[in-house]
Amino acid sequence: MKSSEKNNLLKSHYLYPAALFAEPEPHMVDTILGSCVAVCLYDPVKKIGGINHFMLPFWNGTGLASPKYGNIAIQKLLDKMLALGSEKKNIQAKVFGGGEVVETKSNLFRIGERNIEIALKMLQEQKIHITAKSVGGTLGRKIRFNTETGVVLMKLIQKQHS
Amino acid sequence: MLSDKELIEVLKKRLEQAQKNQELVEEQRTELQLVNGKLAESEALKSHFISNITNEIVNPFASILGLSKNIIASKDSDIAKIKSMAELIHSEAFELDFQLKNIFTAARIEAGESSPEYIKTDINLLITSIISAYKYKAEQKQLKINFSFELGKEFETAHYFRTDPEKLKLILSNLLSNGIKYSNAANKIEVKAWVENRTLKVMVKDYGIGIDKKNLELIFDRFKRVDSSINSLNPGHGLGLSVTKALIDLMNGDIEIASKRHIGSIFTISIPESDSTENDGYALDGNEFIFGDSDDEVF
Repeated sequence: MKSSEKNNLLKSHYLYPAALFAEPEPHMVDTILGSCVAVCLYDPVKKIGGINHFMLPFWNGTGLASPKYGNIAIQKLLDKMLALGSEKKNIQAKVFGGGEVVETKSNLFRIGERNIEIALKMLQEQKIHITAKSVGGTLGRKIRFNTETGVVLMKLIQKQHS
Repeated sequence: MLSDKELIEVLKKRLEQAQKNQELVEEQRTELQLVNGKLAESEALKSHFISNITNEIVNPFASILGLSKNIIASKDSDIAKIKSMAELIHSEAFELDFQLKNIFTAARIEAGESSPEYIKTDINLLITSIISAYKYKAEQKQLKINFSFELGKEFETAHYFRTDPEKLKLILSNLLSNGIKYSNAANKIEVKAWVENRTLKVMVKDYGIGIDKKNLELIFDRFKRVDSSINSLNPGHGLGLSVTKALIDLMNGDIEIASKRHIGSIFTISIPESDSTENDGYALDGNEFIFGDSDDEVF
């Protein structure tokens, strides 16, 4: 329990869907994922981290180009890390989420799967090493990201049977 | 050794596969073309927006500068004239302030820096203050704004509602500003607020030019103004409703429109009350998990 006690001393931040977070001070960032995907970027040299939480894979060109969309959210997060002084070669990534929480027969949606796909693809394109991931499945996830150590705690959210 | 028949069979299969692949490529190509077209369109809208916005910022400033110069140069006895010029300055500055707020909010949303900050809010007071801020603009068009607030049963004791007041203010300002802008003169605007099932509902109804059915879907698009001929009559850059929609999305709310051309429009927003008890906020089921027990997975 020692480590969690120490963790509680950090500032906490709740990350809403479609938002992203990257600050120079260490934080504990919590977020809850269903079919959304969160990419945690961590720079072990500068000991800073950032995280996004996107809902859909691609911005379709209408409405605001917000980090609700994976291709926007990942680029923006990376830009922020670089703006905070990280060097791209030091940045590592952890990827979470993308569960098919809502059961559907149609494979037209597969939002979770497509969210995962864009995350892995973009990180690969940017040559960012993925050190850990927990993606897919049918359950939601709650994650807590320590931006100082890069450690992510995760709990699967069991389905509620009523 | 393959017999001729087998060979033909294999070749046939390969040919089919090749055809399928080609279809797939074709499909993806059309998809790409579609996205490309949309990107080009968005780029065009953006540059159009910039030229539009330049006018809307430069013109009010020009009149503010000119009018204030006149005030400085005027004599003490011209108090009535000074007052009317001050009113004009106020109205120009008010509009400018409102538009800039929309622009900065859009920029923050786009950068992902916008997250709701929930605090207990006196809805009645909030709406009354927005309406009184728009009083002068409404009077210019001889419009009457009627406001009614109906408390739900659960609000018997206090009518505080946990929401993000700044965002709600901008949402309602946009709806009211549009209502005034598109109303016919000497009419009225109705604003009604109520709470049901811990959801705040606000309706803004105007008796104005209305929106065509085919355009209803477009109005939330960024920089889009449905009827370009209106441009000359009513200034605007088409950012207001897209910001409104984005803010409502951010607060997990919803917006509905009912509109008829030349009769008027009704905008109704629903915003669920936030469950957060702290300023930094937790999601609905966020507190049910406590990290530090044995079934944490560590990555």
